[in-house]
Amino acid sequence: MNKVITINLDGNAYQLEEGGYDALRAYLEIAAARLSGNPDRDEIISDIERAIAEKFRTLLASHKTVVVTKEVADVLAEMGPIEADPDTAADPGASGTGAPSGASRSGTAGQEQAAGPGGPPRRLYRIHEGAMIAGVCNGIAAHMNIDPTLVRLAFVLLTIFWGSGLLVYVVMAIVVPEANSPEEKAAASGIPSTAQEFIRRAKEGYYEAVKGFPDRKARREWKRRFKREMRANADQWRYNWHSYWAEHAPFHPGMGFAVPFLSLLHGAATVLWICALISLLATGTVFGLVLPANVPVWVAALLLLIAYGIVVGPLKFARRACYWGMGQPRWVCSSVFLLDTMVWVAVVAALLWLAAHYSPELRDAIHSIPALAHQAADDIRTWWHGK
Amino acid sequence: MSVNEKFSAIRKGLLEFLVLQIIAAEKVYVADILKQLSATEFATQEGTLYPLLSKMRREGLLDYEWKESEAGPPRKYYELTAKGREQLRETLEYWGKINGTVKNLGQK
Repeated sequence: MNKVITINLDGNAYQLEEGGYDALRAYLEIAAARLSGNPDRDEIISDIERAIAEKFRTLLASHKTVVVTKEVADVLAEMGPIEADPDTAADPGASGTGAPSGASRSGTAGQEQAAGPGGPPRRLYRIHEGAMIAGVCNGIAAHMNIDPTLVRLAFVLLTIFWGSGLLVYVVMAIVVPEANSPEEKAAASGIPSTAQEFIRRAKEGYYEAVKGFPDRKARREWKRRFKREMRANADQWRYNWHSYWAEHAPFHPGMGFAVPFLSLLHGAATVLWICALISLLATGTVFGLVLPANVPVWVAALLLLIAYGIVVGPLKFARRACYWGMGQPRWVCSSVFLLDTMVWVAVVAALLWLAAHYSPELRDAIHSIPALAHQAADDIRTWWHGK
Repeated sequence: MSVNEKFSAIRKGLLEFLVLQIIAAEKVYVADILKQLSATEFATQEGTLYPLLSKMRREGLLDYEWKESEAGPPRKYYELTAKGREQLRETLEYWGKINGTVKNLGQK
C-alpha cells in the first residue's frame, strides 16, 4: 500500500505515488534552478509540465487512476535532464527581466519573489474563477494583491454613497479583457501558473520561510502572497472539479427550470442584504434591531457580509450545479445563464423599488445619491485642481 | 575516446540547424520533432529541446501557435519566421562548404 499525492499539472489533477511525487518535485526543482536567469524560465517549465502531463495521460485509463513511482521515473528519464542554454546560463545579469539567479538558489526564494522582479509581468484582467459577476473585482484584487471581498465591498460602498461604483463596474466589465489562457491567468495575478511554484512553497514550508524574514513588511507581504496563492490553488481545484462534472454529468434538461427559482431566492437575499446595510449605515439599526452600544458599525457591516455569504453560498452552488447538470449543448447553458442573469437583475431591481417605495429611510438614502455624487465630483475636482 | 564521444559537442551544435530544417518542412509540435530525430544520431529529449526552442524563438528564428489536438489539450505548433528561413539557407550553404572542405582537404 502506498500513499498517493494529488498534483496539478497544466490545469489537470494527477494522482502520483509518493515516491513518484518526490521524483517529479526534485526534477522540476532542478529544472527551475538550471533555468534561473533564463527570461523564458516560466514558459519552459510550463512546456515541460505540459509534456509530462501528456505522458501521464497516456498511462492512465478508467481502471487505472494513479501513476506509480516507476512510471514517473520512466517518464522523467524519457524527458531527459533540462539543459540550460549557454547564452543565458553564462551571463544571467544580461537578460532584461533579470531574475537574480543567486537569490533563487539561496533558499529564500520566497523573499526574492516578494521583491518583485522574479514574477511574470502583471496585467489587469477579469478573472472568472471564483467571480461573483464578471470577475472585475476578482481581477482588481489579484492585480493589487488584496482580498477580493474588500474590493467588492469598496464597489458596493461606492455604489451606495456616490452611485458611481455600478457604472465603473459595467464599464470595466466591457473594457477589461478576461484571462483565458494559462499565461494570461499568470499575468493577472503575478503567479507563475506552474506546479513548480506550488512545490517550492510546499517544500520550504510556510513557517520556515516566514521565520527567515528580516523585517515585518517583507513578512507581511509574503504572508499575503502565500494566502492568495493558496486561494488560487483552491480556485483551480474547483475549476477542475467543475470541468470534470461538466464532462460526466448526465443530461437533465429539467435542471434548467430550477435555475430561475434559485435566482429568485438569490436576488431576494441580495436585496435584503443591501437594505440591511443601508439601514445600518443610515440609522445604525438593522430592521429596527438596535446594535449593542459597544459594537462599532463596521463590525456590524462585516457580520452582515458574512451572514450574506453564508446564505448565498449554497444558493450559488446549487445554481452552478444546475448549469453543469443541464448537459452539453453550449448555447443552452449560455442562454439559460443569460435569462437567469436577467431574472436576477429584474428581481433585485423590483425588490429595491418596492423597498424604496415602502421604506422612507431607504427612499431618503436613494434620493440623496445624486447629491452625494455631485459632492463627490466636486471633491475630486477641487483635489485635482489643488494638486 | 570513442568517435561518438568526440562528436558530442558537434552534435549539440548541429541540433539547432536540424531543428530548423525539420520545422521548415511543416508545422510541427515537439513530439514530432523528437520522433524525426529519434532514428538518427541526433536523438534527443524534451529536456534539451524545450530550452533550445525557447532560445530560438527569443532569437526570432521561429514562432509557435496553439492548435487543438484530437485528444487532450491544445499543443504548441512551431513554424519558421522569415529570419529563421534566412538562417537555414545560410547554414545549408555553409554546411556545403564544410562538407567540401572535409572531402577535399589532403586529397592530391
